[in-house]
Amino acid sequence: MLSSRSLFIGLFILVAFMARPASAGAFRDALGRTVTLDGPPRRIVSLAPSITEILYFLGLGERVAGVTQYSTYPPAALGKPKVGSYVNLNIERIISLAPDLVIATVDGNSRSVIETLEAAGIQVFTTNPRNLFEALDTIALLGQVCGATRDGAAAAEALKVRAEDVAEKVRGLPRPKVFVQINLRPIMTVNRDTFLNDLITLAGGSNPFSEEPFAYPRISLEEVIRQRPDVILVSSMDRGGRFEEARREWLRLEDIPAARNGRVHLIDSDLVDRPSPRIVDGLEEAARFIHPEIPWERP
Amino acid sequence: MILHRRVTPGKVVFISMVMTGILAGAILFSLWLGTADIPFSALCRTLLGESTGGTTELIVLKVRLPRVLLAGLVGFALSLGGAVFQALLRNPLAEPFILGVSSGAALGAIIGIMLGFSFQFGIPAFSFAGALVTILLVLLLGTRRMGMESSTILLTGVIINAFFTAVIMFFVSTSTDSRLHTMLFWLYGDLSQSHFGQSALIAPVVILAAVVLYGFGRDLNLMTLGDEAACHMGVDVERTKIHCFLLVSLMTGLVVSLSGLIGFVGLIVPHLARMAFGPDHRLLIPVSAIGGAVLLIVCDTFARWVVSPSELPVGVVTAFLGAPFFMILLRTRGSQWNRS
Amino acid sequence: MEPILTLDTVSYRYEDTWAIQGVRLEVGARELVGILGPNGSGKSTLLKIMGGLLKPESGAVLYAGRPVAAFKRRELAQKIAFVAQEHAFRFSFSVLEVVLMGRSPHLKRLQFESERDLEIALQALRTVDAERLAARSIHELSGGEKQRVLIARALAQDPEIILLDEPTAFLDIKYKMEIFELISSLVRDKQVSVVAVTHDIDLAALYCNRLVILENGRLFSAGTPAEVVTSEGISAAYDCRVLVDRNPATGAPRVSLVGRAGRCTGGPACGKAPSTAY
Repeated sequence: MLSSRSLFIGLFILVAFMARPASAGAFRDALGRTVTLDGPPRRIVSLAPSITEILYFLGLGERVAGVTQYSTYPPAALGKPKVGSYVNLNIERIISLAPDLVIATVDGNSRSVIETLEAAGIQVFTTNPRNLFEALDTIALLGQVCGATRDGAAAAEALKVRAEDVAEKVRGLPRPKVFVQINLRPIMTVNRDTFLNDLITLAGGSNPFSEEPFAYPRISLEEVIRQRPDVILVSSMDRGGRFEEARREWLRLEDIPAARNGRVHLIDSDLVDRPSPRIVDGLEEAARFIHPEIPWERP
Repeated sequence: MILHRRVTPGKVVFISMVMTGILAGAILFSLWLGTADIPFSALCRTLLGESTGGTTELIVLKVRLPRVLLAGLVGFALSLGGAVFQALLRNPLAEPFILGVSSGAALGAIIGIMLGFSFQFGIPAFSFAGALVTILLVLLLGTRRMGMESSTILLTGVIINAFFTAVIMFFVSTSTDSRLHTMLFWLYGDLSQSHFGQSALIAPVVILAAVVLYGFGRDLNLMTLGDEAACHMGVDVERTKIHCFLLVSLMTGLVVSLSGLIGFVGLIVPHLARMAFGPDHRLLIPVSAIGGAVLLIVCDTFARWVVSPSELPVGVVTAFLGAPFFMILLRTRGSQWNRS
Repeated sequence: MEPILTLDTVSYRYEDTWAIQGVRLEVGARELVGILGPNGSGKSTLLKIMGGLLKPESGAVLYAGRPVAAFKRRELAQKIAFVAQEHAFRFSFSVLEVVLMGRSPHLKRLQFESERDLEIALQALRTVDAERLAARSIHELSGGEKQRVLIARALAQDPEIILLDEPTAFLDIKYKMEIFELISSLVRDKQVSVVAVTHDIDLAALYCNRLVILENGRLFSAGTPAEVVTSEGISAAYDCRVLVDRNPATGAPRVSLVGRAGRCTGGPACGKAPSTAY
């Protein structure tokens, strides 16, 4: 006979089951493969700095068993075992760490590595975000796959709100020409197949080289001058001295609007070319440079 | 009256002036051509000091002019060095990079790039330091009690080149993405983003070295006959070798530190000059030097134009000249390589 | 008469081997001196010492009484000219340019050749009968022609003494004759002395005023051709049996090979009796 108490207990058990993190199950990865997990993975190896950042962002730091050489953020990741650089992975190292899940990127990690790992019986989940919003979706997805707490999804949602806020604030405003320099010598920029370009567009600017055929084209100085950019953003891993030199170089060319108005800025490349949580920080910084007339709130 | 060829001061002056005229033409041509379309009249007015509006002035005076001048300077130095080395080493395949100064300079630049030094001063300084170290090494390893023997010194150059290249390959293979681009670009030889300041600094030294080397012209003629023969005709062979080697290496080190490794110019131009004007160095030296300036300016113009709005490193263009040049050489003069 | 060039007990060694030991030699004005000797006897080395190219370990080399080492290179080149055995012309200079190079020792660093220098060079070419080759490239010449051009270059140096290292080495008999005729006439008419290292014993005997035989770095014999070129002398120096008689046409000593172990075909003119039978 069902008493109200047993009903209550039954309901409680049912709810408890439902409230458990939904990490058991099958997930479709970026390559269309299905990855099946029995429970939340306890030993995760990240094959890209952006993935490392996402894992820590999701509160999964302790479960990270291995990271790539340049996974330098957050600082806690520096102490983790290294599996090589993300273009040059050490398969033996990965296998020896006995991971129950390896998270890879389609763009960057080589297919042969992924296939070798799978042949060795290791589960590999691939991601392939191609723009900012896809990156934020990836954060939420990884939260699911790895069995992060519900904070993961919420945090990803919060990031989305910030990004949409930026897009909203610049809606309808005229788009300044933004030249993005990712290498000093030779001068290299980005086309529309890159995160940087997506950021510039979202931040209310326009990239004069977005239609170039290659992702990271080399452009002559003359051509940059000819385009007369309004803002120059130097996104380079070389900080300090080289940026100052680059800045001086641009400011010499007074005929360019960006030089005339002193709008040559350094932007941290880690913030703008990785599909990680900090990309929204990058977006906000870019927006501040591109539309300084908007009263942005300082973080 | 016998028709004979010999070099007189009048001939030297006349031909030099004609070549300088050609050089001026090449400079004008190179200033005119580029990604941005600049009408010739606007170019002339800008050069004459008139104000022609921001972009034109900017591009002509701040982007193209320094670049053309540097190209001229580098072509000048490398071709002159090539002519002198071909005489010193009695080897038609010699060029200023053969003794390793270039790979020392390259290694210096690579290290400078890795350590994050500036492009305007830090990296050229490191590069030049590398060149100096190599010069010292060559002097230490390549000279013996008997002095500088050309076969010994050639071998020394090969060894030094091999070693430094290995080190460079090591650094390149272990460097990260952005540094890699920068390193490779430097190694391929590139004249973009040149500055008056840099050229102005090294130009006087290069010209001075060229003048001194010209003074060795007749001695170099005699040296092509062999050390002993030259000695018997009054040449101080050891002194000539050391001085010429130092002067050429110095010039080479200076220009390479600014331009990277631009190959083949130092090899091809002296040959062309010799084919046109004969092997007497008193004419060969000015013709090679000015001819080299013209050639490199033309190559750089092509490098800027062919994949516009992108641009090729000029070293790639000069490299493409190599194979057809040797082909021509083989066809016209094949038999002469075998003569003793 | 004051000798132009004096070698006083000169010794020289390469690494541990003594190439020249205790050689004394004098060359006077207007003399044609021939240096003979087997391969490896040090003839070329001796010539290079005479030319100031090699410094002897001991002994002195004097030019007109002054040590050769005291002269500056250029000065010495105005007095002594040297024509080597082999010539590698890497670049194709014209014949005239090659001969003009001989004027270098007389020119200052940035000084170009004057009309007078040009005339001297052309005259030198005339002397060796090669004026018509002036405009040709040195690469186009035959062995004999090249040799003559180089002698012209030596002449253009206006030296007092010309040293020739096997000037007839790669020439056929006609050109061998021509060269010796030429250098002999130089000595006669141009007032230069010539020292020639050669293997042509007959020609040397015919043309030279004096002969010297070098063997194992030492002076084996020296004197007039008649004194030096004898059966015993040549056989001993060259370690090979020869017969020396008179050339009926010229009266000069004539060398005929007889064979290694003295296999003589008989006849009264034979040298020593065969020592051992084969």
